[in-house]
Amino acid sequence: MTSSMFIHPSLIMIFGALLLPFFRGPFRTPYLVTVPVLTFLNVLYINSTPATHGVVEFMERWTLTFGRVDELSIVFGFIMALMAIIGTVYSLHEKNVWQHMAAWFYVAGSLGVIYCGDYLVLFLFWEMMAFASTFLIWFNRDKDALTAGFRYLLVHTFGGIILLLGFVLRYQTTGDISFVLMDESQAQLSTWLIMIGLMLNAAVVPLHSWLPDAYAKSTITGGVFMCAFTTKTAVYTLARGFAGFNVLIVLGVIMAIYGIIYALRENDIRKLLGWEIVSQVGYMVAGVGIGTALAINGTAAHAFAHILYKGLLFMGAGAIIQAMGTSKLTELGGLYKKMPQTMLLMLVGAASVSAFPLLSGFVSKSMIIAASYEEHIMWAGFLLTMVSVGTFLAAGLRLPWLLFFGTYRGQEKKKFEEAKDPSWNMQLAMIAAATLCFAVGLYPTFLYSMLPNPEISYHPYSNYHLGETLQILAITAIAFYVLKKHLTPKDVQLLDLDWFYRKGGRVFIWCARKPIQNVDNIWGKAYRVVGLELLMTAARFWSWFDWNVIDKILDGSAYTVRNAGRKISGLVQRGQIQQLLCITVGLAMLFIISAIWF
Amino acid sequence: MDQLIINTGFPILSWLIFMPLAATLLLIFFKSDSAARWIALSATSITALMALKLVFAFDKTTSKYQFVEMHAWVQSPTIQYVIGVDGISILLLLMTALIMPFCVLASWSYIKNRVRTYMICLLAMETAMIGVFVALDFVLFYILWEAMLIPMYLLIGIWGGPRKIYASIKFFLYTLAGSVLLLVAIIWLYTANSYSFFIPDMAWQNYSLTAQSLLFIAFFLAFAIKVPMFPFHTWLPAAHVEAPTAGSVILASILLKMGTYGFLRFALPITPDATIQYLPYVLWLSIAGIVYGGFTALAQQDMKKLVAYSSVSHMGFVTLGIFALNSEGIEGAILQMINHGVTTGALFLCIGMIYERTHSRELLSATGIGKVMPVFVTFFTIFGLSSFAFPGTNSFVGEFMILAGAFKYDVTIALAAIPGAVLAAAYILRMLQKVIWGGENNPDQSYLADLNFREIITLTPFLIFVFWIGLGPGVFLDYIHTSVNHLLEQMQVYQAAIAVVN
Repeated sequence: MTSSMFIHPSLIMIFGALLLPFFRGPFRTPYLVTVPVLTFLNVLYINSTPATHGVVEFMERWTLTFGRVDELSIVFGFIMALMAIIGTVYSLHEKNVWQHMAAWFYVAGSLGVIYCGDYLVLFLFWEMMAFASTFLIWFNRDKDALTAGFRYLLVHTFGGIILLLGFVLRYQTTGDISFVLMDESQAQLSTWLIMIGLMLNAAVVPLHSWLPDAYAKSTITGGVFMCAFTTKTAVYTLARGFAGFNVLIVLGVIMAIYGIIYALRENDIRKLLGWEIVSQVGYMVAGVGIGTALAINGTAAHAFAHILYKGLLFMGAGAIIQAMGTSKLTELGGLYKKMPQTMLLMLVGAASVSAFPLLSGFVSKSMIIAASYEEHIMWAGFLLTMVSVGTFLAAGLRLPWLLFFGTYRGQEKKKFEEAKDPSWNMQLAMIAAATLCFAVGLYPTFLYSMLPNPEISYHPYSNYHLGETLQILAITAIAFYVLKKHLTPKDVQLLDLDWFYRKGGRVFIWCARKPIQNVDNIWGKAYRVVGLELLMTAARFWSWFDWNVIDKILDGSAYTVRNAGRKISGLVQRGQIQQLLCITVGLAMLFIISAIWF
Repeated sequence: MDQLIINTGFPILSWLIFMPLAATLLLIFFKSDSAARWIALSATSITALMALKLVFAFDKTTSKYQFVEMHAWVQSPTIQYVIGVDGISILLLLMTALIMPFCVLASWSYIKNRVRTYMICLLAMETAMIGVFVALDFVLFYILWEAMLIPMYLLIGIWGGPRKIYASIKFFLYTLAGSVLLLVAIIWLYTANSYSFFIPDMAWQNYSLTAQSLLFIAFFLAFAIKVPMFPFHTWLPAAHVEAPTAGSVILASILLKMGTYGFLRFALPITPDATIQYLPYVLWLSIAGIVYGGFTALAQQDMKKLVAYSSVSHMGFVTLGIFALNSEGIEGAILQMINHGVTTGALFLCIGMIYERTHSRELLSATGIGKVMPVFVTFFTIFGLSSFAFPGTNSFVGEFMILAGAFKYDVTIALAAIPGAVLAAAYILRMLQKVIWGGENNPDQSYLADLNFREIITLTPFLIFVFWIGLGPGVFLDYIHTSVNHLLEQMQVYQAAIAVVN
């Protein structure tokens, strides 16, 4: 403990969530705003004095660190707390108190992971995130939400177990549970297991399929939280433990490409945005893999920017789904008339993700690309630049075009006529996010000053960078105009690696149902027939034995004595005096004779 | 006489014995049924309170007989009125005195005719039972031992079920037949001990092995029938099934303990060599009883019979503990005598309560009453769990100590007893399942009323003891510890002396 005034921000969120049900009626809305704001202020306060707080001895064996405030955690903690405010404001109208509680627990888990200093605390908050966010899916009334939630929970439980396995192995070999940077040249099985566990949450291909699946099925407000926290928290942990691991560059570039290809073909808005996340997180993972000071800066900056614009896009998508009741691009279109403000705000988000100058994506994404060129990893730099084309196509052009322009393609004309911009709180949250996108783009120093390596200077508004970006954007726009009929959506389920999950799940269920259940049936039958029947037969036999043998012997001997007595008395005591005399005399004679004889 | 602490103050033991007897005299002058009930309840309650006072005054640090009263009775042959308690008998005495008021309560509405006579039988029973546990003169012991049979015979024979005459005669003849050899043994011991019937002087006397063997056989027959040990148990189901509720409770809780008490008080100290010689047979008979009782209980459709056979199994555990001849075993056995008295007594009370409502002891006619009698099945379940030694209940402590003692003696024996514990769970859970839930074709039980206040009062003390002994057995073990250790020390001293002589 270096500071006596350390209150963990997660604690505020957790207690805030626990007390939430007691604030009803007019007190609900102020309270909903107060708790994340307090958390944010608390984060600002602890960020102001980087140090290690909240060190606890656990079971006299392990040292747990709850509050490691340093360069890397400062920026992530800041943006997560900020996003908690935006997300809560966006969901102010939500009546289901449990959903708010789940969201806040989820945020608390994320903040806990960011400020933790060891694997035990990491795991605790990691699982808290997974379980809390599952409820954000389950609270959706959609018929597929329940199964999607289960898939999500299963995948994350699996990831959690791998993580646990990894750090337990690591603890056994090193006796150390502290969560620090690892060395690729000394990597062991435990290192890879931990990395896989963390990568699953970062949706690294091929561990990504849960993401589009789950985010498309979450509640409208839940999706805003989910798009921000899970993957970026995972990126933070990767940057913390695995910066400079070359394999991450490859995986990151694959993610960036793979995600954008699917985003270009996807029909569901939130799935499309989910694929976008995979692609954008690919940049960050690649940045972690490059691992230089600039690359880590880029990763942190991009995560910061990404949370804002992706949150904005998810908020816009949520507004549309809420108004139209569908998330399929094939059933939308022409909404510019009905939801103009939503359109404007979403366009800001779309421009940000496409790295338009003056917006946040422009100042963050290029850092990672620049870092890869600086390290002479030309192929990565080149491929990531090319993915920018796809990003602009998918999110900057295709999505707004299909949503807002053209004509309405759906069947529910009445719904379309009634569609309007969302409620004030949702708009307020979107405006806040859009403003921040501009703020970061116009005044990058605000962001750069918070980055882990502030000594590295980077100037996004160079002539070369501006020229390159504008050229790419212009050519992409022309290409879109030419190719747009090929980019119209089709209402089909895109085949992805989750095919293996689903098949794997089916095989697992089949195994459980057929062979294993059969064995269990046979065992159960054996238990009933051989065990139970035998037992009851034995019981009945011994009961019969007791009644018919032991009891009969006893009663029989008693009856024999009684009957013998009766016989004798019947034989001897007939009551005829002559007979009695005869017998008496006879016996007396017998006695005398035998006395003389012997 | 150095093993006695003479009581010079209030003759509390005599009061305990004669208080119920005095009440029977009082009953002669009251004709009304309700007066009979209240007099019996007051007399047994006062006796119980006096027993509690005795327990608080009991000195746990000595193994000597306490509160001893000694008066000349018959000059020739020298028969004395000498009574006293030690650690082996104190808890049994307490249990006897405490259970009797609840037997009266359980008969409150169950017995409808000849209430006065019934209460006289109960009170006479109490006098005889308390007397047996405190008698230190063998003739006094024998007189009271046989005297117990008469009121019990009447209880079964007059207020019993359909086959009451058969059951009562069987009970009477069987137990009497067992005791006849005991009388022979007493007379032999009288002559061998310079014409004295004083029990403590008969112990550790180095009789010849033949004499000990014959004595042991006499003791064994008398006590094994009383316990009852397999295969001498066959009077028990018949008597239990036909007896009225209070009769069943007295039989199960107290009369069965007479046998095991006899083993501890007489067989071990008077015939130590024979005990060691016959010990393996007795142990294996105990095992046979445990398993056999379990199997037969599992097959029963009659709840009283089921509990009766379970008693055979449980008492098998008690004899197993006694003849393991170590402190765990014997202490566990004494505790288990109390436990069995509490638990089985309570189960018989419960079954009596069902019988009062449905007029049937058949398991099938009592199915599914959990829905209409929730309070009742709560009590019933807890006593059921206690009966199969569920952890946290009294029997668990007892059975655990007995098995620990048996393991110490011989692993094979202990392992052989384990199936009995499993069977206990099987037959009790089967009964509980049927009574609480039943199946799809339960009879209509909606007319049944749940327990009334009197019945709850009757069962609650048993519940308290189930958990008190289960969670804090130390209080009770403290009472028996010194005496048991003394008994085992004496055994070792005796064996060492024998070894020196040889």
